[in-house]
Amino acid sequence: MKRLIMSELPAHSPTVVAGSNVAVARGVTLGYGDHVAIRASDFVIPTGKITAVIGPNGSGKSTILNAIAGLLVPKSGTITTFGKEPQDVRSRVSYVLQYTPVTQGTPITVGEVVAMGRYPITGLFGRMTRSDRDRVSEAMRELAITDLAGRHLGELSGGQRQRVYVAQGIAQEHDLLLLDEPLTGLDLVSAQAIDRIIHAEPERGCSVVLTTHDLEEAKAADHVLLVAGHVIAQGAPEQVLTMDNLREAYGLGALHDEDVATPNFPTEHHHDH
Amino acid sequence: MDPIAWFAEPFSIGFQQRALVGGILAGLMSSIVGTWVVLRGMSFFGDAFVHGIVPGIAAAVVFQINPLIGAAAAALIMIAAIELVNRQTSLTEDTAIGLLFVGMLALGVVIISRTPTYSGSLTTILFGDALGVTMSDLVVQAILASVVIATAVVLYRPLLALSFNRQKAELLGMQPKRTHAALLVLVAVAVIGSFQAIGTLLVFGLLIGPPATAALLARTVPRMMITAAVISVISVWLGLMISYHAGTAGSATMAIVPIVFFFIVLTLTRLRRIKPTHEAAHHE
Repeated sequence: MKRLIMSELPAHSPTVVAGSNVAVARGVTLGYGDHVAIRASDFVIPTGKITAVIGPNGSGKSTILNAIAGLLVPKSGTITTFGKEPQDVRSRVSYVLQYTPVTQGTPITVGEVVAMGRYPITGLFGRMTRSDRDRVSEAMRELAITDLAGRHLGELSGGQRQRVYVAQGIAQEHDLLLLDEPLTGLDLVSAQAIDRIIHAEPERGCSVVLTTHDLEEAKAADHVLLVAGHVIAQGAPEQVLTMDNLREAYGLGALHDEDVATPNFPTEHHHDH
Repeated sequence: MDPIAWFAEPFSIGFQQRALVGGILAGLMSSIVGTWVVLRGMSFFGDAFVHGIVPGIAAAVVFQINPLIGAAAAALIMIAAIELVNRQTSLTEDTAIGLLFVGMLALGVVIISRTPTYSGSLTTILFGDALGVTMSDLVVQAILASVVIATAVVLYRPLLALSFNRQKAELLGMQPKRTHAALLVLVAVAVIGSFQAIGTLLVFGLLIGPPATAALLARTVPRMMITAAVISVISVWLGLMISYHAGTAGSATMAIVPIVFFFIVLTLTRLRRIKPTHEAAHHE
């Protein structure tokens, strides 16, 4: 597969600076079997920033995360993560999958689920060291799930379970955190806890990519990809989330004017914690 | 009869003791592997598999070769054919398993029907011959049991990650494809190592029964394994004892015990749970 060099970056991305992207896709077509989810698209994920991938249901948001994580090989075009084939840099990427149902009564505790984040370091047989255990406790503390450690996933509310998955994600070593709809349908406490984590990641030098349906979440990000079967626009939220672009993504008449970002654009409000 | 004799008599003669040891070895390896089978929701595969090895054993009886070799060959054919259907068609995995289940079982009956002792051999294959276990059978069983239990424990992390979520297992470098394949081999070895003592049909009882019961009681996978192992040993012992005193078939009685256990435990745990329903509301 052809490797990208920085001069080949998509020209229409004003936020892109050479050498500052964790992932770069060029002319990438993604899909499963005969189905194409994302057709020939260019995009970049800037380093140390929060990138929101927004679009309607079935628009290919998760597919983009899967490709960045190396779970999916492009049908055509190229995608690189940390300048390499995505499946070769899995040790630097932590991916919090979208909520998957858990069988009631499966005897896996919250503590074990979070500790799985250390498996890439411990391997199959390696013992959990003190620092591994500290990292697990720290992750559980940050998401306020320490007192749930002995519970089963099936005994938790949806929001608590999502916090467990995010704790697993941050317990894993990573320079890039991918989250698939981390805030969709959560209670306020869980949403706030996860939102705090998302905004703390860049301070540690990590990059974040999350998918969302929510315009407000997208506005709070540093960089936005608007997708609907392909990447319609990318860049700073106020440049991407325009009436015209959103109409193209969601279809004419699907949005009322007041939903859409206009002059007093509140980019900073999510950072006030 | 005095109580001590009541307990001791069923195991006073050599073949009875061998039946007990053979049953316990079968129970231990089946319940440990069965824990992962239950957690992965692969019970149907397990069921199909124990029937799928019948033609291999039948052919071994007809051609007078070691039944372990026949069973292993049938197991390989079955796994390969299921994989073939999965890869070449868009049919779901349970359809592939179902096809092989019926096909292999029918083939087994066809092969065995050519032998003069048709019904006798078939009964032995399906229901085992606990009291006919020899010393060399026990040695082979002990080796297979050690290998199976050690592997199931060593692969704890990959199997746990796979039971949690296949994609997540892949992302964590836990190689779900290889792990799944390893689990299929473990099931095959456990079944092959157990069928002489308790029969192919009834291995399934020890593969699913004790882990399912343990799942109602244990909060972690290691505890589930230990609980399942204890239940399987008790089942084998109790089954042989009942069969001696009641004059019933040994392996079938062994296989019934864990299923009865399951429903007793289910009833007890549900009765306990009826009262504190308000506790669930606190979790939210």
